[in-house]
Amino acid sequence: MRVSVEPTYEMTKLLKIDRFEVEIADAATVADVVDKTKIKVGPEFDRLVRLAAVAVNGVLVNYRQGMKTRLADGDAIRFVKASAGG
Amino acid sequence: MIKGYAGRILEVDLKSRTFAFKPLDEEIARLYIGGKGYGTRLLYDMTDAGIDPLGPDNPLIFATGPLNGSVAPQSNRFAVVCKSPLTGGIGNATCGGSYAYGMKKAGIDILICKNKSETPVRLEIDGDKSEVTFLDAGDLWGKGTYETQEILGKKKYHAVIGPAGENMVLFAGIVSDERIAGRTGVGAVMGSKKLKAVSVSGSRKLEMDDPEAFKEYTKTIRTLFRDHPVLGHSMEAFGTAGIVKTTNARNIIPTHNFKYGHFDKGMSLTGEYMADNTLVGTKSSCIHCPVTCGRQVNIEGIGTVKGPEYETLGLMGTNLEISDITKVQEWNYAADDMGMDTISLGAVLGFTMELQERGMLQSGLTFGDAAGVPEIIRDIAHRHGLGNDLADGVKRMSAKYGGHEFAMHVKGLELSAYDPRGSFAQGVEYATTNRGGCHVQGGSMYMESVGPFTINPQNLKLKADIPIVQQNLACTINSMVLCIFTTYGIVPKFVHEMDPKSWQYRLAVAAFENSGPMFRILQSIKGRPMLWWEKWMTFITGTTISSGHLQEIGGRIFNLERMYNLREGLTGRDDTLPPRMLHEPIFKHMSSGHPLDKLLPRYYELRGWDAGGVPTRKTLDKLHVAL
Ligand code: SF4
Repeated sequence: MRVSVEPTYEMTKLLKIDRFEVEIADAATVADVVDKTKIKVGPEFDRLVRLAAVAVNGVLVNYRQGMKTRLADGDAIRFVKASAGG
Repeated sequence: MIKGYAGRILEVDLKSRTFAFKPLDEEIARLYIGGKGYGTRLLYDMTDAGIDPLGPDNPLIFATGPLNGSVAPQSNRFAVVCKSPLTGGIGNATCGGSYAYGMKKAGIDILICKNKSETPVRLEIDGDKSEVTFLDAGDLWGKGTYETQEILGKKKYHAVIGPAGENMVLFAGIVSDERIAGRTGVGAVMGSKKLKAVSVSGSRKLEMDDPEAFKEYTKTIRTLFRDHPVLGHSMEAFGTAGIVKTTNARNIIPTHNFKYGHFDKGMSLTGEYMADNTLVGTKSSCIHCPVTCGRQVNIEGIGTVKGPEYETLGLMGTNLEISDITKVQEWNYAADDMGMDTISLGAVLGFTMELQERGMLQSGLTFGDAAGVPEIIRDIAHRHGLGNDLADGVKRMSAKYGGHEFAMHVKGLELSAYDPRGSFAQGVEYATTNRGGCHVQGGSMYMESVGPFTINPQNLKLKADIPIVQQNLACTINSMVLCIFTTYGIVPKFVHEMDPKSWQYRLAVAAFENSGPMFRILQSIKGRPMLWWEKWMTFITGTTISSGHLQEIGGRIFNLERMYNLREGLTGRDDTLPPRMLHEPIFKHMSSGHPLDKLLPRYYELRGWDAGGVPTRKTLDKLHVAL
């Protein structure tokens, strides 16, 4: 199945892309997507992931099963940096 | 006189061109502080029910508070209070810049503009001489807010309107420097009085109860702000636009007239993108503020101007599906220069585009297309052609053309750029806030969908409690008068540095989310001043102010506003959200919209209101709200 990934702005500088799709196995988790991306980008990606929250279809994984949250075909994974203002 | 106040109210009659200085009422100052609180008390007492908001009987009240005139960071705002022509209920807005500082230098706490002038007029107030000069403003009428301020010069502090205010666009604002008191149409009221500008000058110093303690403490707070991840870093680096990425990721940024909460091309509207591509500088924009959240960008043919804030990028960017940030920058400048609120403007444009899409109105304006937008902004400001309809806001547009179910307003005030379907407490706040659908009268979203420490925004826990605490706090912040962004400093640095996915973080969030009434109870304790605004209030006025005191005062102000609205004919039925928000799901897991029906009764109960949303006698007595 395929899921889309939107990195934080800092991550886009490493990845050189602001949105991409990943092919994953059935029953894959958010952590699997991170691992897969890390292979491409390197360990620096880990540091940026640590600073970010992750949302699946707009809902933070904190309120679900964290990084072990299971994904479904077509899900949108978005990394979120907390900020304020507005 | 209580320290921190100048002790004077200036009343100006624009028809007879007379003025009088009157003493500030200390009892009202104790009960309502100043700013929005004092202004609301005056409006309630001075006016009869049912006045025409654009008629001579609606006073325009400029109100400062005891923190204005000091050098406390972010203490630079003034409040404007009047009956709103947009909602028919309480109208108010606050504005940064330098005008509040100028009023206090002139030794004026509050300026009340009564009646109407026959011809365009401007006021020059010399606080030292206690003189007011009424000057012909015919030569300024029609000019934008930037040019007007340039002509008026830098020797005085100004509050001005642009063509939108002159033409009584119902969401026109009042501008000081580069900042705007944008919401509820206060600029239209100023325009209805043919009052183009107020300029103040003077050399008074603010008297404080304990100036030494204030000075020392303020130094430490400046350091705290400098090191703070938001106030010291992200606000300077990205401005309020730094929030676009967050709300877009969390599915709550208005897109396609709030039909969706995510814009795929949103990256090019972020503060980070702006910083890398279009930003030419940063600026405080408001006197004595070290935060520098103001953006500076270049516009071809115009030069360096203020860049857009989060709300503008949301309502005029993602909401219209425009991904070219340079377009939003241009429209933001045009709206500021015309003197109108970009939140309402973006919402009315989004609504018009959806009418076009559904074949209900041929305007030529379509989502994702910048064509026609600059022209319609000008037409709105001058009430030309179709612009005349848009100038009346979304509620009246929907009455004329249909589309009630996707008319994005509450009580007539257009919604801000946080979709309540992904931010339930914010939804309750929108529904119940007295001035209508606005986020800076509480900012509940900060605790559930935007800030660094957010509870699950989509269950019922604390979703009626948070808005009450936040609305009460915001009432007092807007009465002192401080910038609401100061509250972003509360979350300490170490929380920002936590991994939001860690078990420690999740445990802390779960503990907060399950704290039940403790959250409200802790806030209501009257103890020692802890936070900087409580300490500043204590050092300046000499009266001990703690969170509990502020919750009580804020509750009083909020209930008085409520009573004003009830007197003007609003009812509990107006405490609602647009049908799209209540019935259309926006998240994959949702089957409907915001669960307001489950939260509103609880909110009323906690407020001490009856089932119809009317404050009980007991509640009003407890809070000393005299009617
Ligand atoms: S934080 Fe920004 S809006 Fe608030 S006072 Fe400072 S410069 Fe003005």
